[in-house]
Formats: sequence, C-alpha cells, structure tokens
Amino acid sequence: MTERRPIRLIVNGRAHEVSLPPNTTLLTALRDLGCTDAKNGCEQGECGACAVLLDGEPMNSCMILAWQADGARITTNAGLGTLERPHPIQEAFADAGAIQCGFCTSGMVIATKALLDRNPDPTEAEIRDALSGNLCRCTGYGQIAAAVHLAAERLRNLPSWSASSASEDGQEPAFKKRVLASDDVTGEGGRS
Amino acid sequence: MSSPDHQIVGRIFPRSDGVARVTGAERYTVDVSLPRMLHGRILSSPYAHALIQSIDTSEAEAMGAVVLTFDDVPKTRYNERIITIPPVLHKDHTVLADKVRRMGEAVAAVAAETEELAEQAARAIRVEYEVLPAVTDPHEAMKRGAPAIYDTVMWGKKEIAVENNVAAEREVNEGDAEKAFAEADATVEGTFRLPKVYHAQLETKSCVCRPEPDGGLTVWPTTQSIHNVRILLGEIFDIPLSKIDVRRVPIGGTFGSSIQMNSPIPICAALALKASRPVKLTYTREEDAHDHTRYGCTIDLKLAAKNDGTLLGADMELVADIGAHNIQAYSYLGVSIGWLVSLYKLPNVRYRGTAVYTNKAPSCAMQGFGNPQITFAVEQLIDELAETLDIDPIELRLKNYVGLGDTFWGQGPMVKSIVHSDGVPQLLATGSERIGWKTRPVAGQNRSEDERFCRGIGMARGFHTSSAGAPQPGDVIDFSGAMVKVNIDGSIDVITALMDHGGGTHEAIAKLVGEALCVPFDKVNVVPVGTQTTVYDCVTHATRGVYAGGGAAVKAAELLVGEILETAARYLNVYPDSLDLRLDEEAGQAEIYSPAIDCCRMTLEELAKRCWMESWKTLAAVESYRPTNCPPAYVAVFLEVEVDTWTGQVRTANAVMGSDCGTVVNPAMAVGQLEGGLSKGAGYALVEGCSWDADGQLASRGYWLDAKIAAFDESPHVENLTTFFADTYEPTGPFGAKGIGEAAMNPVAAAYANAIANAIGVRFYELPITPEKVLSALEGRKAEGDARKGRHLLDRSSGAGDAR
Repeated sequence: MTERRPIRLIVNGRAHEVSLPPNTTLLTALRDLGCTDAKNGCEQGECGACAVLLDGEPMNSCMILAWQADGARITTNAGLGTLERPHPIQEAFADAGAIQCGFCTSGMVIATKALLDRNPDPTEAEIRDALSGNLCRCTGYGQIAAAVHLAAERLRNLPSWSASSASEDGQEPAFKKRVLASDDVTGEGGRS
Repeated sequence: MSSPDHQIVGRIFPRSDGVARVTGAERYTVDVSLPRMLHGRILSSPYAHALIQSIDTSEAEAMGAVVLTFDDVPKTRYNERIITIPPVLHKDHTVLADKVRRMGEAVAAVAAETEELAEQAARAIRVEYEVLPAVTDPHEAMKRGAPAIYDTVMWGKKEIAVENNVAAEREVNEGDAEKAFAEADATVEGTFRLPKVYHAQLETKSCVCRPEPDGGLTVWPTTQSIHNVRILLGEIFDIPLSKIDVRRVPIGGTFGSSIQMNSPIPICAALALKASRPVKLTYTREEDAHDHTRYGCTIDLKLAAKNDGTLLGADMELVADIGAHNIQAYSYLGVSIGWLVSLYKLPNVRYRGTAVYTNKAPSCAMQGFGNPQITFAVEQLIDELAETLDIDPIELRLKNYVGLGDTFWGQGPMVKSIVHSDGVPQLLATGSERIGWKTRPVAGQNRSEDERFCRGIGMARGFHTSSAGAPQPGDVIDFSGAMVKVNIDGSIDVITALMDHGGGTHEAIAKLVGEALCVPFDKVNVVPVGTQTTVYDCVTHATRGVYAGGGAAVKAAELLVGEILETAARYLNVYPDSLDLRLDEEAGQAEIYSPAIDCCRMTLEELAKRCWMESWKTLAAVESYRPTNCPPAYVAVFLEVEVDTWTGQVRTANAVMGSDCGTVVNPAMAVGQLEGGLSKGAGYALVEGCSWDADGQLASRGYWLDAKIAAFDESPHVENLTTFFADTYEPTGPFGAKGIGEAAMNPVAAAYANAIANAIGVRFYELPITPEKVLSALEGRKAEGDARKGRHLLDRSSGAGDAR
C-alpha cells in the first residue's frame, strides 16, 4: 500500500484538496471527484477519451499521475459549457452530427478546444493531425472534422468564447446537471 | 426518401440527447455509482488452454475481498446469446471457468472497497494450472489428435459429445449444383481468408449490479438486450424474472459485441449476491480485447455462369473460427448461406459450413454478422466473372441480383420473404455516374507519370436484412414490443426496451410515434426504462431497430390513435369514425377534429387533461410486433483508390456510397451510419485483424497501439466522400422505412479489393490488404511477368502456339 499525499486539483475553476496515493492517475482522481465526462477508454494513452486540458495543453489524463497536476488548471469537457449554455465547440459537435455513442466525444471536444485556441482557422490536414490521438469507432470521423470546421467558423465570429472557457469565466460547471443525469440512470441520487 | 406527406419523419431536428452527450453529461454503465458499491475485478488466465489444479484464495480473503471461484458459482451451462430458441441452443459457458479455453478467461473474481484493493486481491490469488497444448488454427483443430477443447456441451437439454472440435455443421443443397457446373460456360473460384477482428467499442464491457432485499437484482449493464440479460440471470441464479430489473443504459459503442449477455454480467451478479452489496465490474481494455471478435473464416467459393452472364449456381465451403465458445455458430453458418443466395439469384447451390472451436477469443456477431465476409468473396468473383465473360461488372450485377419480387433468404434458410422495395438500379446508376465509372482504367494501366502511384476504380454492392422477420417462426426469436402513453400535458412517453447504440434508433422511434400520433417531435420522449416496466424486445441487432422496434412503436401508436378518437368522440358527441388527428404546427400539438363539422375539435392535451380531471383513464396502448418480412437494406459502394507502389499503401481518393433504406427517417444520422460503415469497412479492408501465436497468446496483448483500428487519418477523408439515398418506400416498414446500419459496412472491403485490383491488376483474397501484402504481390507480379516473358521466348523457340 502506498502512502496518501495531499494535493490540490483545480478542476473547471473549482479547487479540491484531496489526499491520494501517489500512483493515482489524474483520470482516476477526476472520476472520483465526479468528473465522469472524462472517460476511461483504454488506460493506455491510445484512445484520447480521457483527454483534459492541463494549463491549456491537451493531455491524456490516464497517462499523468494526479500529483503531476497539483496546482495546475485542469479543464474537462464539462468545464467548457453546460447543458443550458453549451460551448460553441460542443454545439457544433451536436449540430454537425459528430456524435453517435458519445463515448469519445469529451476527448474530441477537448482536442478541438486545444487546436482552436492556437489555430483559429485550421485546415483539414491540421484538424486530422490535432485529433489523431482520439479514436472514434462510430462516425468515421467525417462529421467530426465537419464539427471542428463549424466550431472554428462560429468561434471566429464570437471572440469572447475563443478567448476563455466557461469555467475560466467563473461560470458554474455542469456538475449539478450531471448528478441529475445520474438520477435518470440509477433511479437514485446517491453517490459513493 | 421521405414522402412529402410526412410531417415529422425525414425532417432534421436537433438530436434530443445531443447536448447531454457533447457536454459529457450522459451517463453510461461505467459512470453508474451506488452507495456502498464495491469494485470487482476478474483474475484472467495467462494460458489459452489449461486445467485448473487448485486455487488458493486465502491471501485475497485476508485482504478483506469477497472472492469467487468456480466452486462458488452456479454450474449451469448456458449460451450468452439466447436469440436461438432453447431446444437447439448450444451451451458451453459457465459463470467462471472450470477449464481455461482462451487467454484471459476469468478463473476467479473479487470485489473490494476500492479498485486498487480489488486489483491487489485478484493478484494475490494463487492458481496452479496444468497447461494443455493449445490449438489456434481451425483446420488444425479438426484433425485427429488435435487437443480437445471440449468433451461435451449442452444442446438444448441434451449433453452431446464434441468431436474434432467441431461446434456446428450445416449443409444446404438447392437444385443440382453438380449439373449446373457441368453445364456452365464459365466458372470462377477463389479461397478467401478473413481474419478475426476486434470490435474495439470505446466503452469496455461493464456491469453494475445491486442485490435487492426481496432476493432480486437490479442491473445496469452494457448490453444490446436488457430482456435477454434478465432471462439469463434468472436462469443461472434461479431468481424469478419479476424480481430482476435490468435497466436500459446508454452504451459507448457495441457493434454486435453485446448482443449476447456480456461475460462480466453474471460474474458481477455473483459477486453482488455473495457480498450482499452493489458491485461494479468493468473490463480493462486488455481484458476486453481478449473477450470477443468478429468471426474469422475461410471461404472456398465457386460460381457457374452462362456466356450471357446468367448465374447458374454456386458451391461454397466455409470453415469458421469460432474461438473458445459457441455463441451463435449454428446461426452464423445459416446466415452465411443466406447472404450468398440473397446477393444473387443462384438456382443451384451446394453449401457446407463447419464451425470449429479454437483456443482464441470467442467469435460473435460484428456489424454485418458474416455478411462482409461473404460479400468480400462474392463481389470479387462477380468482377472476375465479368472480366472472363467481357461483360460490364455493373451490367452483370443488374442481370443477376436478388431484387423486387424475388425470394430473399435474409438471415438463413429459415428466414425467407419476398422483396417489396428495391433501389438497386438507382444505387448502381447514380453511384457509377458520380465515381466516373465510364472513365475506369483498364486494370493496372493507370500509373502516375513517375510510375509510383496507380489509380483504380472499383465497386461492390450488398445489403443487410432489416430484422430476422419471416412469415413463420423459425429457430430465431425476433419480435418487439412497445407501450405509448399520453401525459396530461399532451407529451408522449414511449416505453420500449429497444436499445439505441448511438445511431439514432430512439430518435427514429420518437419521429415515427410523433408521425403516427400527429404530435411534434419535441413532445415525444423515449423514456429510460428497465425490464420490469417494459414488454419484451429481443435485441437491437440485425439492422432491426427502426424497422422492427419502430414497427412495434408505430403499431402501439396506431392502437392508441383508435383509443384517442373513441375517447374524444364521447366528449365531442360525434361518432369516432368521423374524427381524425392532425398536427397543429402553430399550437405545437396534436388536434382531434371532425373534417365535416368545423367547430368539432379538441387538442390532445385537452383530451388527456379531461380524462385525468374526470377520473377516467390514461390514454395508453401496448403492442407486440412480429415482422413477417426482413426487407433488404441495399447499399452500393464505389471507390477510387490510389496505390503507392513504393510503400504499398492504399489511399482512398474518392468514395461514393448509396443506401436504399426506404424512407429516410433521420437524414443527418443516416449519413453518419454510412460514413461510419465506410470507416469500419476501410479498417477491415486495409488495417485490422487479430492474430495469435501458437500458444494462443493474442499478438497485440490487448494494447490498442498494436490492435489497430482506423484512426482519423486512416478513415476515408470527408471531402472525397459522397453519400446518397435511393428514392424507395418499403410497404411493410413503419412509414416506408427499412434498416440501414449494418448494410453500410457489408460491401466496403470488397469494393476496396476490386478497386485495388483495378489499380494494380492484382487480386487479394485475404484481409487485411496491408502495405506488406501489396508490396509482396507487386514484386510477385513483376517476377511472374519476367517468368512469363521467358516462357514466351521458350514457347516461340519450340514452335508452340498459345503461350497461355
């Protein structure tokens, strides 16, 4: 057994003081905090479903230990927008039909956010390159590429969104709604 | 296409679960978390074939873990897939293994307070194995003296011996194949080798299970059929079905891998029952990759034809590699011949199929259930036959395909129906025009200036059945049920057990019910449910979601229309037959009205509210629906590829995909189905394939780095992809709809093979067509070409005539 150590995880604008064994991955830590939008697709760093932004840089959270993110700004997909006010990237994914099962979507949205933050008008090849670490088995990627183009176009006309994410604006992240979604599935409010 | 009469079907609305999915709010099985929930882990076998001598669990138990071995679980042998009727169902599976038959098989399981502790406890279990020789090649497995993977299995209620590792056999003879081949002007033949391929669904198999105080279970599984999971858990654990509620949970992809009850589900249930606490058990990616694949097979196929191109018959021998468990081998052998005789009219057929156990991951259905394999063989031979007879390949297809009015076998010899809608001529005409079929080069004659790149155009067509419906009951269970009810605000609850894997099945059902009830799309909700509150639906597979599941919902909705009109007639003081329903788009709700009397009308909301206030009733209807047809959803794929003769890589230069799915219910999502099918088909054609070493070790070890699937750049690029839909109406389908999903993938690999053959003049009978195989074939062709030149010289010098 490994000794727990206190660290500070700043997730979607909210600080959490947690005590974790040093071998805990950031993905496990996030999911234990209720950030289930970060998905465990492989725990091998291959599929990108667990991608988050760490101080603005996209990372597979299964490949980082939680303590490596101590004090850093962590943004998950749910931190970008809410059910009431989705981020333009999230809206573009819905509008372009870029979602089927939805399991890869959070990682795709995060990879897109990282791309558009540094390159507001990417070419098709740049999109393919930026999202090459994210696997999708449903869509064939065409509609995902279309969603990224659509998001880029919308964000260029909405500079305030491209400048900062919702959580950085101090908005409440989508956490409350996620608990509601949990109720739909389990029929109860309880969480372990 | 959508009929102009439709008000909701065929229109594009924002996806109702779209925002939940894009913001990460959607909850899947892996996200379900319950109070006092324990975490489960399995202990996987490191050997592919072994006897378990002893298991020591004391250390794991000392760590506080709940531990299960074979001794602790019911010994009932079952088949995880119960779509085949019980009397002819093969059963070889137990909750945990008494004998290991594949790498990664669960020999023990634990549950503990944390995932970490569960992992440590699983590792602390000591197992002594007696390792047995493994057999991984089905042809070797059938030989005398090969290691016996099973001594016996259950077949219905009988215990039967397994000989030579053969799990199932099937023979079909129609007409006189021998005579057809004797009288043929031309024959073509080939031996086609298709690999086992991993489904690679993004969410690994998972289950959460909670024991209830009444002795029952509540289960949140990854599955394509909540009712079949319930029936199996009841059978295995001897629990009355009414006490088992299996909840319908969104699933992170499946592609056929969860048609059968997933292997972690009964393990999770057994852990929860022993611990008397909720347990979650989720496979790691490695465990999942060892658990299931598409059927691998070898197909020896021979076609006979007349000089004018009329097909006379076929001879097919198929050997299927089913891996360590028989999930649906007998059905697989049946559908394989069904796909063949439903592609083209073949009056004389001889077929022999053999399904063989090997010490590898169990094979199960994967998008197309055997259809991409058969289509890969048939569509290549049709091209070869066209070449032999000097007939345009498209003409040859049009001359022989199974279309309007023909008998269609769909899912095997016991699932026969007549084709009522046929968009094949449109698909072939439009597709060939868009790809530039007329400019198709002569095979191997289209090199770039530097001689490096060769371009070629190829096509293939195919279909999938919409459901496994037929006029008579066969050995396949296929029916759906649905309940539809009107709430007092005029909104509609659709209560169905039918799963949506993300392709938009629930959206389609909401549209179909909205159309039938004249209620706007946003007022129809396919609600979250479980087995205790739904009528039976067999499973979302066989491209049946919209056609059969939607058919059930429409049947219930039509019954409800009668109930609505009867009830409203009492309030409006008219005869029910004088009333009708219409969609009042401005008011955003359904209106009941009499066409003859202008003032005689009320909204559906008014009616439902009045029924409530006056303590009368809920407007509701429940129906079951058995499809008596399984209409073919046709697809045609046209590809232009560019083969790099230096690297052997194949690039998709242009792709055109046409679908005949009858009425297009969800236009945007239907395009998504086609694009997804093309991507998975491209992966199957060029990239994917699992391999095992002689000891039964999976080469990829379950790591995605090696178990490749088509990533962003390996998928055909969207700017080079055109999709279109045939303008057809299926008279037996809900508002004219057929299926679409699996059809999209079925002909893709064949289209790649045909396009590559056109580009470089070499045919590939084995998938995947990797750069290594392309390069080696090009070298071989060059060597063969040199040898042929040599032979010509020799022939000439000896004075012989034909150098062929």
